[in-house]
Amino acid sequence: MAVLAAPRRRRFSPVLLAFVLVPLVVEGFWVFWPALQGFYLSLTDWDGVSAPSFVGFGNFAEMFSDDIFGTAALDTVIWLVLFGGLSALGGLGLALLLQRERRGVGFYRAALFTPVVFSLVATSLIWQVIYQPDGVVNRLLAAIGLGSWQHAWLADPKTALYAVLVPALWRQLGYVMVLYLAGLKGIDPALYEAAKLDGATSRQQFRNVTWPQLRGVNSVVLSVIVIDSLRSFDVVWSMTKGGPYHSSELLSTYMYSTAFQSLRLGYASALAVVIFLLAFGVIVTYLVRAFREDQ
Amino acid sequence: MTLTTTRPSPPLVPRRVPAPRRRNRGIGFHLVAGGLSVLWLLPILLVLTTSIRSFEDIASNGLGSVPHSFALGGFGQAWGEGGGGRAMLNSLLVTIPTVVLALLLSAAAAYALSRYAIPFRRTIILVMLAGNLLPPQILLVPVAKLTELLGIYDTLTALVVVQVGFGLGFYTFVLQGFMRSIPDEIQQAALIDGAGVAQIFWRIILPMTRPALAALGALAFTWTFNDLLWAITVLRTETVMPVTPALLGLQGQYVSNWNVIAAGSVIAAIPTVAVFLRFQKHFISGLAIGAIK
Amino acid sequence: MTSAGLSRRRFLRNASLAGVGALGSSSLLSACATSASSGPVKQAAGAVTVQSNLSSPQAKVAIEALAKAFGDKGGATATINTVASETFRTQLPSYLTSATPPDTFTWYPGSLLSGYARKGLLLDVGDVWQTMGNYSAPFRALSGDGAGHQVFVPTTYYWWGFFYRKSNFAKWGVQPPTTWSEFLALCETLKGKGISPIGLGAGGTTPWIASAWFDYLNIRINGAPFHRELLAGKQRFDDPRVKKIFDPWRQALPYFDPNGTALAFQDATTVLLQGHTGMVLTGTFFADAAPKDVLDDLDFFQFPILDPAIPVAEEGPTDGFFASARTPHVAEVKEWFKYVTTAEAQELYIKNSSGTVLPANPDAKDAGTPLVAKGRKLLSDAKELTQFFNRDSSDALQPTADAALVRFIQKPNELDSILRDWQTAAAKVWQS
Repeated sequence: MAVLAAPRRRRFSPVLLAFVLVPLVVEGFWVFWPALQGFYLSLTDWDGVSAPSFVGFGNFAEMFSDDIFGTAALDTVIWLVLFGGLSALGGLGLALLLQRERRGVGFYRAALFTPVVFSLVATSLIWQVIYQPDGVVNRLLAAIGLGSWQHAWLADPKTALYAVLVPALWRQLGYVMVLYLAGLKGIDPALYEAAKLDGATSRQQFRNVTWPQLRGVNSVVLSVIVIDSLRSFDVVWSMTKGGPYHSSELLSTYMYSTAFQSLRLGYASALAVVIFLLAFGVIVTYLVRAFREDQ
Repeated sequence: MTLTTTRPSPPLVPRRVPAPRRRNRGIGFHLVAGGLSVLWLLPILLVLTTSIRSFEDIASNGLGSVPHSFALGGFGQAWGEGGGGRAMLNSLLVTIPTVVLALLLSAAAAYALSRYAIPFRRTIILVMLAGNLLPPQILLVPVAKLTELLGIYDTLTALVVVQVGFGLGFYTFVLQGFMRSIPDEIQQAALIDGAGVAQIFWRIILPMTRPALAALGALAFTWTFNDLLWAITVLRTETVMPVTPALLGLQGQYVSNWNVIAAGSVIAAIPTVAVFLRFQKHFISGLAIGAIK
Repeated sequence: MTSAGLSRRRFLRNASLAGVGALGSSSLLSACATSASSGPVKQAAGAVTVQSNLSSPQAKVAIEALAKAFGDKGGATATINTVASETFRTQLPSYLTSATPPDTFTWYPGSLLSGYARKGLLLDVGDVWQTMGNYSAPFRALSGDGAGHQVFVPTTYYWWGFFYRKSNFAKWGVQPPTTWSEFLALCETLKGKGISPIGLGAGGTTPWIASAWFDYLNIRINGAPFHRELLAGKQRFDDPRVKKIFDPWRQALPYFDPNGTALAFQDATTVLLQGHTGMVLTGTFFADAAPKDVLDDLDFFQFPILDPAIPVAEEGPTDGFFASARTPHVAEVKEWFKYVTTAEAQELYIKNSSGTVLPANPDAKDAGTPLVAKGRKLLSDAKELTQFFNRDSSDALQPTADAALVRFIQKPNELDSILRDWQTAAAKVWQS
């Protein structure tokens, strides 16, 4: 038996335990503790000022008969699929395009990442201007002869949700691209050499080398996408506030308006619990499987 | 996993790519990438043009019109009314400690959870990540009350601590993903040399995680700098407001000076863009996880 | 591997203990999250902190000038702390229930105020009102909490009307109307000239402007008392009397700007000034969105009378200050209130701001322009004053109005279901 097999984990050193427990305690105090309060609040009726009154599962029962909740839930699923799917595909595509170090690639990467860093206040304003009835989009459509496609993009209940999707993606793709870039950097170039020696085309190289190697990054990207889709609150809120009359309502905007406009913090907390369960359900199944495969 | 260098291997197959085709592919790349970049930057350009217009121009001709004026007054106004240097300082006072602290703590947790067989490590990682699945809006009120209980309400310390706490789950998750793929041999070698847990962390694993830390650091900087919700929840007084909520304060109750707000956004974007450009080099450093010199 | 097994068991035990502890203390913690401190507050000398939502540059300058003048008088001083308007609104409950709340707040009177007063969060300023003998009875009533105490001091108020550009009307050769049929005829004329007669800015993030139409049609047809009852939850939105007011609205709908629900309010102002729309039902605050050289060209006419039998009511939203009940600077706060309600303070404020507001103190002089004089006459001639939808009802009810009214403007044929949904949503707000 090699000496190297000497137990490297006989006892967990206190330093190691501290490495785990300190962050855990910090997160526990600032996130889990308030979260528990939030979960408790979901069982109450509270207006933010007087004492909360316990209503059991009344809030959750109300959701079933709430039309707006149904709309918001459906919109959220659509958002998850479109926003999530397109940002993953787009981010990967952009990363593949810009992964090789060549002249100008730094500029291109920075250009695509700039929307991520730019403050939302100004960019949401500009996107509203772009979508105005006489704004850039409609004028462009008229110029290329598609005048019949013109809409009041943000005011038309049929198009509002999809219209808001575009600036949301615009802000997200650079970020997903960065994650995939870091992942692509981590792929051993020798694997590509070996594949090229075997005569693999670039598509085969992608399928057999790139994609499997990206598995770690993919789980990160998936979590990011799910988290961001479900928290995609600020873009939608600043552009339409969930309107017109709830046609671009997501669960996150509905939760916010319930908490801070209608001042029904109990019901809002219940909505937050639903969002959390949704996110948890999507992520956990994938992650547990990914973890198990790696062990 | 074999150790390889990034020394270019000798060509085993003679290159027969004709020169013109290679140049065309280069042009094609630049067209596509360049076109995308221009498309992406278009809204930002619109913000820039708005920031150099005068209020009268925007009020008379609308935001979407071609500029009829050139006025740099918006920048001065944004700087002065938006809190100026004080707000920028507040932003940096919050963002830099947050990024450093959050990455340090999460790297430590990621290191311990990915390289040692701590019981329930997978559960712990998932639980930490679960903390980020909660919509932050619902945590606002309990966290505000918590900061009041601790007596740090309306201070920058509160914002730092809250941001660190809230980011830990995600950063740990990302970092443990990268750290997991570092080969065992290096750690074993260090152990034989008698290195302790902390030394292995500081001297070996952390430097090897540099690209991930750089990418995550740039992102963390951006998120913390651009954060709005936490800032307006735990801070109340103008003088401690960082740049991003101060920018929001430039909006009036009914009417806003869009040129001033656009100018303020440009000013506020400078630190985050600068940080990204600086850290971008680390992606290009060539030190990739999985292929170690 | 007993050592690993031991540590695993220990981990498990600790984790489950933590879990139980967490669950058990969650209710305790929620008490921490939701409690407001109680007990008398120790008084101390100090500057009055004014938490202000007047974030537009001019209003901010004006209130800071006010604070400076107050400090220069000697005695107490005041510091203004301005935050974004939307931030202020969402954080107001948090400010009021904090252990160390700001001393005073800018805000408006209405149901929100009496709601907070009922919960004991607001300071009784009855003795300040004793120095305000010249204030009119409606202001006094507005500033009460419904239980005989005064909790608010008004400083300025403004009016609503159909605003238009005099030069544009002259160019089109039309006169402001006085009756509803004249109004519709005016719209018809303007439409014939290729102009959208009625502008609206209910798009994007400003759908609340549409509530002005609802308010005015309701107070013109059903009278202000019914309107107030409806907004206080004592009447139903699917009442036939409410449905009746949408008939004249339907008559006016063809003349609305087709982009009315796509443009935000500030852009609608620009469109009006450029002459693409004829007139907009708006409050005087819109003048802040106009370039300075246009201000003299602005004029307004009253929302036409629909039923001469109903006493004339107008929307005259009032702004002012209230104070937290738990301020440690009660004496200084009252000194500040006594100052801001004087004529000179209000004149100072108006001089520094955009000048289209009226001072609440009847002895104070306003900006003196013909527009302001006309506005003052409009409000003083009115028999009743309402405040505006969200001020008379609550900020919580406003989103229900936004959804209902924007939907009506886009789909007027769905009125029955719109009113039904509105009533359902409103009932939920009233229940909580």
